[in-house]
Amino acid sequence: MSRHTTTTADERSADPIEPDELLESSGSSSVSPEAADAASSDTDEADPASDPSLPSGAGSGAQRSRRRAQLPLAAVIVGAVVLVAGSFFWWDAERDPQLAAAAERDQVLIEATTAIETLNTLDYRDVPAGLAAWTDVTTGTMRDGIAAIDEAMQQSLAGEQKISTGQVLEAAVLRLEGDAATVVVAVEIGITDDAVPDSPETTKRNRFSADLVLTDGRWLVEDLQQVAVSLS
Amino acid sequence: MTKVRSVIQTRTTVYVLALLLAVGGGYGFWQSYQLRSTPSAENLAVVDASLTAEVRSFVSQGLTRVLTFDWQDPAATTAAADQVLDDKARSDYDELFTTLEARAPGQQLTLTAVVQSVAVKELETDRAVALVFLDQTSQRASDQQASIAAAQLSVTAERSGSGWVITELQPL
Repeated sequence: MSRHTTTTADERSADPIEPDELLESSGSSSVSPEAADAASSDTDEADPASDPSLPSGAGSGAQRSRRRAQLPLAAVIVGAVVLVAGSFFWWDAERDPQLAAAAERDQVLIEATTAIETLNTLDYRDVPAGLAAWTDVTTGTMRDGIAAIDEAMQQSLAGEQKISTGQVLEAAVLRLEGDAATVVVAVEIGITDDAVPDSPETTKRNRFSADLVLTDGRWLVEDLQQVAVSLS
Repeated sequence: MTKVRSVIQTRTTVYVLALLLAVGGGYGFWQSYQLRSTPSAENLAVVDASLTAEVRSFVSQGLTRVLTFDWQDPAATTAAADQVLDDKARSDYDELFTTLEARAPGQQLTLTAVVQSVAVKELETDRAVALVFLDQTSQRASDQQASIAAAQLSVTAERSGSGWVITELQPL
């Protein structure tokens, strides 16, 4: 429709209209809205034909080239609008707190899963290495407790001749508030008892609730509790 | 002629500029789409606090009702199952319930479920997967025996009308 209007305007300007005539036609009720639009757009822009500095014969050519010159400008405006809008959406997604929280939640889950598997894993043949792995994924009082396991206790752990391997079956984030999170996990622990040669591996299921804190960019376990069977 | 040529050149430059701007904008839209369409971004668990709370509350209450059973009033449990369960969860439950109903009157069996924890793992507006820890106590009035069992379940819930239904119960 707009293109049609433009054409109409051009045709009109080729045959210049007197201002009175314009007023009359736009005032008349028989004129269609398009025609009125075209007429008013002609009056809005300074008509080159009525500009005394220009030879009257050059009117149609000058106007046509001006309109043509406006097309690149329109393209640049459209391009700029697309750029601004696209940049805004990108920026908005980048700083969206919900997206950041979603990423953090998944990160907590990944690190908690590894940490809890580590904490349910111990090989009697190398207790110090197992305990070192435990301290690496813990923090606070829990870490202190593990660090406090003395030589005698380590000897007794080694003496049990058991190899336990924890595997997380399912885990989910229960709570995530800033630098603190609570994760619940269902764990399967496989236990090989080397004190009884050729005994098959036994498995048990356990469920845990773990509190984690973000420490120097890593989620570390602060507390790990079995979710006890209880009746309320 | 040179004037015409320079006009054409200028115009081409301007169009190229417009195109570059649009391409830049398009890249922004694409980046935004990429950031928002990752599996992580589409999972609303925890992130959407109210929807997460809604699902937790439904799963907790629903499972408590469905897994609580009184031999004197089995209809209450069946009615709860009608409301709460659907699809695979329903057919699994019916199977279990048939054996339970057959045994219950003789043993004067009551089951009491207590949900310890519900954590939502995956959440979309119309589907959720939750990890549930629950305890179930069974009491037999016939011989005064009681036992308690701890269970870990992966529960799938789907939106149904204004509420939710549990469509899958997977013991872990």
